[in-house]
Amino acid sequence: MYGDASNKIIEGCTCGGKLFFYIKKSALEKRENEEQIILSKKDKEQIEKDVYDILGPQIDTEKPIVLDLESIKIKKPGKYELDLVNLFKGQPLVYKLEEGKYVIDVVESFSRSKDKE
Amino acid sequence: MAGIFKRFLGKFFRNLFKKKKDIKLGLYGPPNGGKTTLANKICQDWLGEDMGSVSNVAHETREIQIKEEITIKHKGRELKFNLVDTPGIATRIDYEEFIKEGMKEKEAKERAKEATKGVIDSIKWLDDMDAVIVVLDSTKDPYTQVNITIIGNLEARNIPVLLVGNKVDLKKSDLKKMQAAFPQYELIGISAKFGKNMDDFYETLFKITK
Repeated sequence: MYGDASNKIIEGCTCGGKLFFYIKKSALEKRENEEQIILSKKDKEQIEKDVYDILGPQIDTEKPIVLDLESIKIKKPGKYELDLVNLFKGQPLVYKLEEGKYVIDVVESFSRSKDKE
Repeated sequence: MAGIFKRFLGKFFRNLFKKKKDIKLGLYGPPNGGKTTLANKICQDWLGEDMGSVSNVAHETREIQIKEEITIKHKGRELKFNLVDTPGIATRIDYEEFIKEGMKEKEAKERAKEATKGVIDSIKWLDDMDAVIVVLDSTKDPYTQVNITIIGNLEARNIPVLLVGNKVDLKKSDLKKMQAAFPQYELIGISAKFGKNMDDFYETLFKITK
């Protein structure tokens, strides 16, 4: 976990990952009371791959992505929870992994894919 | 500036010529309500062919399916539209449900991923619809978050809605409960599988798309 304005967000994580998500303080406190899901490295990689598959090829996997809302939670590979209210609002699509570990903006990807149509 | 103006003009003329010509009629609802069965019935009635495959396992339709230029004729009137069958909208997709239906783990996880993408696509396409047929299973409780969210969003977008209570051939079918849940819409009870009450369905379709 990195603090606001950390260089790591620009440079990428020491683990090589460039996909970040923003956790609000209130959400962090709330999560401390939630059941923690422990994922293996393989599961994490699989979820990341699944998210990029869902988003399609228009997403640049090399660029760091940081977002904050949670519209889709992925508890483990193949287990999805969708927040329909946020999705219908067209708000940024956010994928939560583990304790809310990653997130992606699909509004941008939607507009790009719509332009292609 | 010139670019913006050009894009505006382009969009204006596209919309102008799009009007009336290709009405997009969407089939929306939760998984396993019978959207594709109804799409197949409509296509069989007017084109003599199916639209997509159906299954008892939820999330069989995971991609948007479009059948273009369907013309229906009813009591001397004619209606031309493009039919858009959408993946079922759900709040929770769990691969373990597919395993219970006999799938292997890998296939089940793949299906869950595709179903999730399907939900996103269905929602993404909603703004493109000129009218929507909401297909609900009349044997199930209508007061669900999915049903209320779909219908609430259609109302907010002022998209004409035809509310269909499917599976009236089944004993547990309860149209009264469904009508009480969504009194703002006329409810048509049908059995897409057995083609029951399709005349009323087409009649109402003309009403909402005029």
